[in-house]
Amino acid sequence: MGSFDLSEIFYNVDSGYLEGLIRGFKNGILRQEDYRHLTQCDTLEDLKLHLQGTDYGNFLANEPSPLTVSVIDDKLREKLVAEFEYIRNHSYKELGVFLDFIKYSYMIDNIILLITGTLHQRQLSELLTKCHPLGTFDQMETVTIATNTADLYNAILVDSPLAPFFKECISEEDLNEMNIEIIRNTLYKAYLEAFYDWCKEKGGATADVMCEILAFEADRRSIIITINSFGTELTKEDRAKLYPRRGKLYPDGLIELARADDYETVKRIAEYYADYRPLFDGTGNGPGDKTLEDKFFEHEVTLNVNSFMQQFQYGVFYSYVKLKEQECRNVIWIAECIAQRHRAKIESYIPIM
Amino acid sequence: MGHLFRSEEMCLTQLYLQSEAAFACVSELGELGLAQFRDLNPNVNAFQRKFVNEVRRCDEMERKLRFLERELKKDNIPVDDDGDVPFAPLPREMIDLEGKFEKLEKDMKEVNSNEETLKRNFLELTELRYILRKTQSFFEEAAMFHEQPEYGHGGDESTQSLLGSEASRGPFTKLGFVTGVILREKMPAFERVLWRACRGNVFLRYVEIEESFKDPHTGDTVNKCVFIIFFQGEQLKNRVKKICEGFHATLYPCPESPQERREIAIGVMTRIEDLQTVLSQTDDHRRLVLSQVARDIRIWLIKVRKIKAIYDTLNLFNVNIAEKCLIAECWCPAADLDKIRMSLRRGTESSGSSVPSILQVMKTEESPPTYNRTNDFTSAFQALIDAFGVASYREVNPSPFTIITFPFLFAVMFGDLGHGLIMFVFGFYLVWNQQKFLRNKSNNEIWEMMLGGRYLILLMGIFSMYTGFLYNECFSRSLNVFGSAWNVSNNPGWDKDYLRNHESLLVDPAKPGVFRGSDLPYPNSTGNPYPYGMDPIWQSASNKITFLNSYKMKGAVIMGLCQMLFGLSLALYNHLYFKNYTSLLCEWVPKVVFLLCVIGYLCFLILYKWAVWNAADSFHAPSLMIGLINMFMFKAPSLKEQTLVFQGHATFQKVLQIVNDSGDDEEILHHNEAIMDSDSDSDSSKQEEEFEMGQFMIIQVIHTIEYCLNCISHTASYLRLWALSLAHAELSEVLWTMVMHSGLAMPGTLGIIGSFIVFWGFSALTVGILLVMEGLSAFLHALRLHWVEFQSKFYSGEGYIFSPFSFDAIIHDKVEE
Repeated sequence: MGSFDLSEIFYNVDSGYLEGLIRGFKNGILRQEDYRHLTQCDTLEDLKLHLQGTDYGNFLANEPSPLTVSVIDDKLREKLVAEFEYIRNHSYKELGVFLDFIKYSYMIDNIILLITGTLHQRQLSELLTKCHPLGTFDQMETVTIATNTADLYNAILVDSPLAPFFKECISEEDLNEMNIEIIRNTLYKAYLEAFYDWCKEKGGATADVMCEILAFEADRRSIIITINSFGTELTKEDRAKLYPRRGKLYPDGLIELARADDYETVKRIAEYYADYRPLFDGTGNGPGDKTLEDKFFEHEVTLNVNSFMQQFQYGVFYSYVKLKEQECRNVIWIAECIAQRHRAKIESYIPIM
Repeated sequence: MGHLFRSEEMCLTQLYLQSEAAFACVSELGELGLAQFRDLNPNVNAFQRKFVNEVRRCDEMERKLRFLERELKKDNIPVDDDGDVPFAPLPREMIDLEGKFEKLEKDMKEVNSNEETLKRNFLELTELRYILRKTQSFFEEAAMFHEQPEYGHGGDESTQSLLGSEASRGPFTKLGFVTGVILREKMPAFERVLWRACRGNVFLRYVEIEESFKDPHTGDTVNKCVFIIFFQGEQLKNRVKKICEGFHATLYPCPESPQERREIAIGVMTRIEDLQTVLSQTDDHRRLVLSQVARDIRIWLIKVRKIKAIYDTLNLFNVNIAEKCLIAECWCPAADLDKIRMSLRRGTESSGSSVPSILQVMKTEESPPTYNRTNDFTSAFQALIDAFGVASYREVNPSPFTIITFPFLFAVMFGDLGHGLIMFVFGFYLVWNQQKFLRNKSNNEIWEMMLGGRYLILLMGIFSMYTGFLYNECFSRSLNVFGSAWNVSNNPGWDKDYLRNHESLLVDPAKPGVFRGSDLPYPNSTGNPYPYGMDPIWQSASNKITFLNSYKMKGAVIMGLCQMLFGLSLALYNHLYFKNYTSLLCEWVPKVVFLLCVIGYLCFLILYKWAVWNAADSFHAPSLMIGLINMFMFKAPSLKEQTLVFQGHATFQKVLQIVNDSGDDEEILHHNEAIMDSDSDSDSSKQEEEFEMGQFMIIQVIHTIEYCLNCISHTASYLRLWALSLAHAELSEVLWTMVMHSGLAMPGTLGIIGSFIVFWGFSALTVGILLVMEGLSAFLHALRLHWVEFQSKFYSGEGYIFSPFSFDAIIHDKVEE
């Protein structure tokens, strides 16, 4: 905090309106009470009726009955995208760059989705509907012509904003499922590192908030990669290359993780870190137990909610998108449980306090 | 006006409605709009209520109607609006309506999808036509090189196009090509990806299509480009096609030979013509369907909204299964119970139910809603009051008094005859055309606000003219209506030469014959002062502001006292009405005493000084301000300090001080005693009593101190009347001398043109700054004086507004959104 940052003086001039807007949007996020009502719904129509009473308003009013979960999903996403695009269109200079960084992660997901889909001989039109609208870019749909990563980079991605992240994964190998996964993780690693560095350089409250969140994101990826790699043909050296080197685990934890062979070792490593220790406690796959993934989500939600405690920083924009995404996941989870009449697990959404 | 003085008397009633008659009864009550239903199942979720299915069906109908409305808007077909408002249909008619809407929606969708396919077809054909036309030049270019192979061979390679050199190396037919159409904005990215992905082994030519197309699905206008890509080999072909697919380019087959192209072109032309006839027919059909919809859609929307509102209301009711009836509770004005009974009877009859609906008045401890019946004229003033806080049930409503005091206080700050006249004319224009304006609602919020306050503007205009006349200001100039009462020439030795040679002269009213009392015919032969308002001579006096300041300041204090005293007298009405005699004696009386002894005394001194001290002895006139300060410091007024106003002043002031202090103490003590009395009556435990006692003491002491301070600060606050009036006068003075005067002062022909031009600047500034901005500021200050200084004397404003279930409100809110 010690350094005097000039940019914060102009923060409200440049982005004050948008921050106000985002804080307003954040107040519209569903509360515990709303979730309680939602879980009591018997049909999707009930769900719609209740959502009408929240900030979602009439977002489903023009949909003919019967409703389906996928329609709800589309509409939820549409709303978030509309809000995000509005803010992106009004953003100024650095906030624009920041918001673009948020978009990049969706772009990565979309590219990977398209490549995987093409590998499995799916139709492009079918795949496109599954792409996240926040991550679309001009050249995206042409990724299907690439057969190896060099091709992918040279022909298509070199013009896209993702090009800088791609440097590490260019090779002449043909695309297969294994190296698509590797590409995804390498891209993500490069992306997270770039995003982290950008925030760090930005300094001030943005760095305070965002580095915390992104460090957690990096560590989560490292841990999940490690756990998922057990029993696959991924070598330990290759695995170590996929760890984003910006989290709290870096460097010691990552060295340990690179050597890990089973879940218990990972757990033991995580226990050295005060933040991650509670996440591993009490997880399991039994009924009533929360999965590690859910625990991570909960922690993410806490971090994102905390980001609203500080002003004059861009973290709120990132956090809002993430919280809203979590909310969409929650609503869809509840909707799925209702639609499939599988009410036993309806309570396992992740509340946003 | 009687009903505006206090809010309506309300009563809580319970309705027992037979389930078959409930719908009709609620519908009747909705038409009446006098009952506010209470939610009897606040703990039940929205989707667990009894009539949720009906509400949902209404939602569905509304959705269909909205869809039809959108279609109407797309085709710019106006909706018929004859101002007719239908009754809510019976529940059984709902099925008919549902069927009708279902069919219309299906028809509409069918027509739309047909139209879309046709339009897509049409678009494709048009695109093909462009391709055939535009690629002609590409082929001709290619053919030119093809025909001159020797030329190409012999010539310099670098000067030839890629196509030319390739054509010269191998047979031309080996080159494959695709033609297509792509969105114009995607072209650069497309070109780049194509070049990169094929490593420069393709040749792309493109040309823009001048005509813009309409996207058949979204209806947006889009611009497109025709392109042709030449390549060699099957592998490249696949790649090119994939890229085209990725960029959503539409590919069309295009034959190589000119003859075939011509044939296809002719075929395309005839097909386009055919399609056009089909399209126009579909369009006619669509218009036919929509014109039917346009005729009825407003009526339908109102009907559906009414049904939905009725079911929403029914959802608030309790269901008594055993007796097959619905139980409702509602607030309604006691005076209108008969009307409600009538509506219920009508509802029961129209539904054919044999058992009558029962209305029963309930006793309740709850505080009822506040309902002030307003009309066109009073509603704006009531809104000003409600914006501060809705009156508690049956307490004195300040709005009838506000009707006069608000425009008056506004005008004190805005006093200018000319500005007032403009405002009056504008207000009059709004009132005169109100029927027309109210019918055509506009989306302009500011306009709507002014329209709502049209009577307020009218009155503010009239009062401003009045005060402007008093201040004798019209666009900062004075009018000499009755003739000035000052006579300059009565000074000895002031002849014409003397007057000409002196820029300014001191006119002393103490000299005989200078002020009033002149016998000369001019200026004012009556010998009396200027009969009404300010003497116009002050306009040319250099001490005009000093003179007016003292006048307006004192006037402001007197007006402030009057309004505050009036507020206190309304508090008297409140205490009497609520039979709160302890408060009356121990709170109200000391309050009045304090106000009168301090501010009342000051006002008395002001009036006394005005009446008794005159021009002759004005040099040793007492200073009221110092006198008042001294009074608080217990200094007796004396002649030496120029604070003595009249003989016996000192004694009088002492008496006041004693009365005043005792008043303060009385207020604190008596209130405590009163509380103690009421406390000892109640049988609460001793300890609790003591605790409350202490708290009450503190609150009461704070209250008393606050009131005493407020008396001073509120009086000071009324000085804004003077301050704003001064600001307004000075601003208009500046505007006149800086703008209008400079135009009028120009000599000769230049003056004519100059004045004309300057006039427009002057009038724009007058309206923009003096009327709008100054008017707004005076409005806000008048509002504050009412909300804070006036209403704090008697108004608690802790009620909640009566919002009856009324179709009128429901339809007007929503139809015009």
